[in-house]
Amino acid sequence: MQTAKAHWWFVGPALFLMVVILLMPIAIAGALSFTSYSLGNPGAEFVGLENYEKIFTRSTYEKMFGATFRYVFVVVPLSVGLGLGAALLINSTRRFGDLYKTIYFLPVMAALIAMAIVWEFAFHPTIGIVNSTLERGCGSFLESWSWFAHGCERGFPLWLTDRDYAIWTVAFIGVWQGFGFNMVLYLAGLTSVPRELYHAAEMDGAETAWDRFRLVTWPMLGPTTVFVVTISFIRSFQVFDTVEAFYPQGGGPSKSVYVMMFAIYEKAIQQNLMGIGAAITVVFLAFVMFLTLMQRWIVERRVHYT
Amino acid sequence: MTAISLSAIEKSFGTTSVLNGINLDIADGEFLTLVGPSGCGKSTLLRILAGLEAPSSGEVVIGGQTVNAVRPARRNLAMVFQSYALYPHLTVLQNMMTPLKLRDLSLTGRLPLLGPVFARGQYRAIVEQVRETAQILKIGHLLDRKPGQLSGGQRQRAALGRAMVRKPVAFLMDEPLSNLDAALRIHMRSELAELHRSLKTTFVYVTHDQAEALTMSDRMAVMMDGEILQLGAPHTVYNDPQDIRVAEFVGAPRINLLPGSLDNNGYARCGEIVLSRAATQGVVGSVSIGLRPEHLSLCEKGTPEALSGQVVHKENLGADIYLHVSVLNGSQRLVVRVSPHEGQGASFGQTVHVIREHGRALVFGKDGKRLDIRTAGTGNVAEVA
Repeated sequence: MQTAKAHWWFVGPALFLMVVILLMPIAIAGALSFTSYSLGNPGAEFVGLENYEKIFTRSTYEKMFGATFRYVFVVVPLSVGLGLGAALLINSTRRFGDLYKTIYFLPVMAALIAMAIVWEFAFHPTIGIVNSTLERGCGSFLESWSWFAHGCERGFPLWLTDRDYAIWTVAFIGVWQGFGFNMVLYLAGLTSVPRELYHAAEMDGAETAWDRFRLVTWPMLGPTTVFVVTISFIRSFQVFDTVEAFYPQGGGPSKSVYVMMFAIYEKAIQQNLMGIGAAITVVFLAFVMFLTLMQRWIVERRVHYT
Repeated sequence: MTAISLSAIEKSFGTTSVLNGINLDIADGEFLTLVGPSGCGKSTLLRILAGLEAPSSGEVVIGGQTVNAVRPARRNLAMVFQSYALYPHLTVLQNMMTPLKLRDLSLTGRLPLLGPVFARGQYRAIVEQVRETAQILKIGHLLDRKPGQLSGGQRQRAALGRAMVRKPVAFLMDEPLSNLDAALRIHMRSELAELHRSLKTTFVYVTHDQAEALTMSDRMAVMMDGEILQLGAPHTVYNDPQDIRVAEFVGAPRINLLPGSLDNNGYARCGEIVLSRAATQGVVGSVSIGLRPEHLSLCEKGTPEALSGQVVHKENLGADIYLHVSVLNGSQRLVVRVSPHEGQGASFGQTVHVIREHGRALVFGKDGKRLDIRTAGTGNVAEVA
């Protein structure tokens, strides 16, 4: 029958593309992760779970997980919180709103790789603006802060090359770069909050800004928050360019900034160990999937969609 | 006793003046309606009273206290919004609890999860109060639903409930019925009026629908272009409008206005027809003569003082029929209310004769103000018909 085949012509192209460019690569990566394949080799050896065993036992990969999770769990809350804060502040000003929006959005638009060079200068231990500014504070009341006093005595930290500071510095740049994007999303969310709800809240006795935020703004921004948090998680799991720009030689001081994306790049591209690279990719994918599903599940029951 | 008093309220947005010196005293327990066409400033006036908008000048006094500097939350007024403005993420119960929680509970008592534990007794009292109110409004079975799951009428009740729980000094209502369908709107009119009778609280009600104003209020203020044109009981405003704009706005279908003139003796005439009453102010010139549709009726051909014309349109409302009659050589249109029995015979294009009920005509001068006309005591009987 003619009609029985028609539907294939409708869904066929989309289905074909989805399989070829989305599902197949994932399946291939999954398959490769069980082998010791490297690019150029005619064949590959099946190694079973050996790659995964390495990921979950070797200290390098332990560091990889540590760096990734530190980064993600600093950048996501801070960039979401700052994004919301900036959006609320901008929304409440009558003047210069557009100017602030532009300024906060600049880091999002700028190429991160170029910005990384600027930050590298800024954090330079001797000629960098950060440490030279801090040094000016020496001798003032700031010295009552023991960390500061220590810095004055022995020199301030080598932000990017000290293994105790490197990941936090990179995370700071991640927040700096990412919160403007969240701010724009929140600003869009704020425009859809009905003005009358604020008036109703005011009439109901919500006198403080906090009461109004709790009663109207935060619940009405629920759907936006779901989206912003999901996007931020995925984006910060995918951090790569700052790490590559600062530490092309692999993972920063004693691999303290060895994030997953960089590990994939290093193993699969630089060292041509496709098998282990594929295995990290699969683990990475599982993490992102898991986190996304988790928070959808939590949030779905608590968020109100109009 | 005066519950609320507004004096010399002015408001302008930029160079646009919205309210020009409004003076209004609202008695305690009164149902006062602000009615007028859209853009007349009635909602702005209500929002100034609520405190959501600050007047450019003038004074708002509630219960003997000037509240210009008092924020809305502290004025103890409740407002019902046109869109109801229920919190969409909260159930009806939570919506109705909100004003009580914000008033009665401390900051710790309002904490999301721990609050109900810390202030268990107060919570119970609040829920009890909400349930009582819900019982009055017959929404007891809807308390666990969210606004999105309610019909328009139910949302309206929930919004009323949220306003009622706090037992405010006055209810402010901003076109609360305009989002309901026609049948429900008429039903809610009587329900609101009953609610007002049982609560005995001041209601300030804003509407653009003159029927709502006429049916519900103790007094109505007709507003236009930022001014109160007339303030009075509905029957006074309807039967005794002091301004041509009031006469035109109140009453549906609209009052018929015929062009006329005042002669030297003060009699208003329109073509052949001369009113039996004379103006006392002694103005001469062109006037408008207003005749409500219910004060006109059909008559036999040849009746003196009748106007003849063709039926150009016929509106059948069941209980009444409105005939649109083109009179004075087609230059004017009269709407005549006739009974279904009378109207049966009248058909499109037919010539009919219309006579007015004597003593009912309203005469408005050139400036739109009503002219006082009285039956003259002396012998102008010849002209009296």
